[in-house]
Amino acid sequence: MRRQIEIGLLFSCTASYGLIAAAGRAGALRAIDEVNADPAFDLTFIPVERDPQGNIDLYQPMCAEILRSTNARHVIGTTTSWSRKEVIPTLEKAGGILWYPCPHEGFEASDHVVYMHACPNQHLVPLMDWALPRYGRRAHLVGSNYIWGWEINRVARDLVMGSGGTVLGERYLRIGDTDVARMIEEIRATRPDFVLNSLIGSSSYAFLAAMAELRREDSAFAGGKMPVLSCNLTECELPKLGADAEGLISAGPYFHGAAGWPGDGRVFASSFEAAAYVSVRALAGLLAHRPGAEMLCLRSLLDQPKEARFGIDRATHHVTLPALIAEVQQGRFEVVSARDGVEPDPYLSRRSNRLHPNLTVVTP
Amino acid sequence: MKQKIFIPEFGGARAVILHRPHPTVDSLSRQLRAIGLSVEAHWPELPASVMLADYLFFDADMGCDEQFPWPAGEAPMPMIALIGSEAPGRIEWALSHNAASKILKPVGDGGVFSGLLIARQTYDARKAMAAEISDLRARLSERQTVVQAVMLLARNAGSEDRAYDQLRQMAMSWRVNIEEAAQRVVAMGLAAKRA
Repeated sequence: MRRQIEIGLLFSCTASYGLIAAAGRAGALRAIDEVNADPAFDLTFIPVERDPQGNIDLYQPMCAEILRSTNARHVIGTTTSWSRKEVIPTLEKAGGILWYPCPHEGFEASDHVVYMHACPNQHLVPLMDWALPRYGRRAHLVGSNYIWGWEINRVARDLVMGSGGTVLGERYLRIGDTDVARMIEEIRATRPDFVLNSLIGSSSYAFLAAMAELRREDSAFAGGKMPVLSCNLTECELPKLGADAEGLISAGPYFHGAAGWPGDGRVFASSFEAAAYVSVRALAGLLAHRPGAEMLCLRSLLDQPKEARFGIDRATHHVTLPALIAEVQQGRFEVVSARDGVEPDPYLSRRSNRLHPNLTVVTP
Repeated sequence: MKQKIFIPEFGGARAVILHRPHPTVDSLSRQLRAIGLSVEAHWPELPASVMLADYLFFDADMGCDEQFPWPAGEAPMPMIALIGSEAPGRIEWALSHNAASKILKPVGDGGVFSGLLIARQTYDARKAMAAEISDLRARLSERQTVVQAVMLLARNAGSEDRAYDQLRQMAMSWRVNIEEAAQRVVAMGLAAKRA
């Protein structure tokens, strides 16, 4: 007789950032189906789904409702860092655990959250390391007006300034806002070496469409010059962007078809799908053949050898991940740089993840 | 104008916790390790190596002066009070040790990172201010020397205003502050008198 274990899925599939949420939901459901069909497990997952529809004020009550009215202790989901931070107090009160399948801006390591996607030393730091010597040190930063954009841009500013560069502008748009004209005018005027884009959802689509238009209009921006970089763009948003996506550069732990993580030869549509999938698989592995383990706190649940806890770090609840950088070429991401096995450092406290000296490549 | 916060290098920094074994110590330790610090906990005695710690977390509920190898308020690193009971006497005691920030017990999921940042900032600001005050005090106590030097110089300069200008010029060319220049002038004046 298999144990019936409810798990919460909290994804806003109709939000302005709904494509990302839907990718995570698909990954979680795929893993649930696999686990449930696998005779090696003594458990069956029963998904309890709630969709906050992108309304930030619905995350906390819906998470509380899952933890109160069902037996679920584990919730997979939330997409924005804002919504993750909204549910943490509820998780603390109810003893719940969130599996977060999106990149985040660091400076957080909750007792009640497992971070299965990348943190800044796994996305932003390698991206800047790669981009600064290639394109130059004059950066323009844009982002959505909440914690992800603010913190990514703060760290980026530190990295750019620390390498002797300058930040020509830093602009924010409210989530869902698509009035990007002012941003584009500033970029046209200041001609940065690159733009770091931390906008999300429809704001990002409007911005990237306008950037593509700018490239057609002004030859200074054509032919791969002044690229747009980001730490959260994946395949799941490419259909929405169409030809406007050409030349975009993104950092992440996985791109469609990449080897390495999550392994097992499985192919995922995007890293969001992969991270949610891995979350459910890791949870299944941690609960399998440990009756009652679904009620354990995270610390006790992870009180296992490293292999058995799927590499989840006991201090930070983050995972070691590859750091890939990929460029959209003819509608798909091509990996242009790969670093394997980057250990998580969510507080950027290791020297190697901090400011780099002002070095330039000298060819003999 | 946004004030830029300075994030110190926490990687490899050492935190010492002075608290009896308790879940609060476990939560605190996990958060500190996640931030990148190394952690050791002691109770009730602090080892001599505490002098090398970069941050000291101490129990404000059960602590006493004798546990610290320095006089109250003179710790060589930022101290962070772990406050459970908000009894006025205990807070008064924690303040007597110049706690640079505080964390409320029970320590749960957060508070340590901001506690560290605030403690570092407060401690450094206090140290800088103390250095500035002692410098100002030293200069204040030299007022009389300045007056003496001006009187000496005025004999040749003709007026006190001109003597004061002359003293300032000397300080500038010697690259010292005006009090130190005055000390030299007075010393030279005395030497001349003796000669």
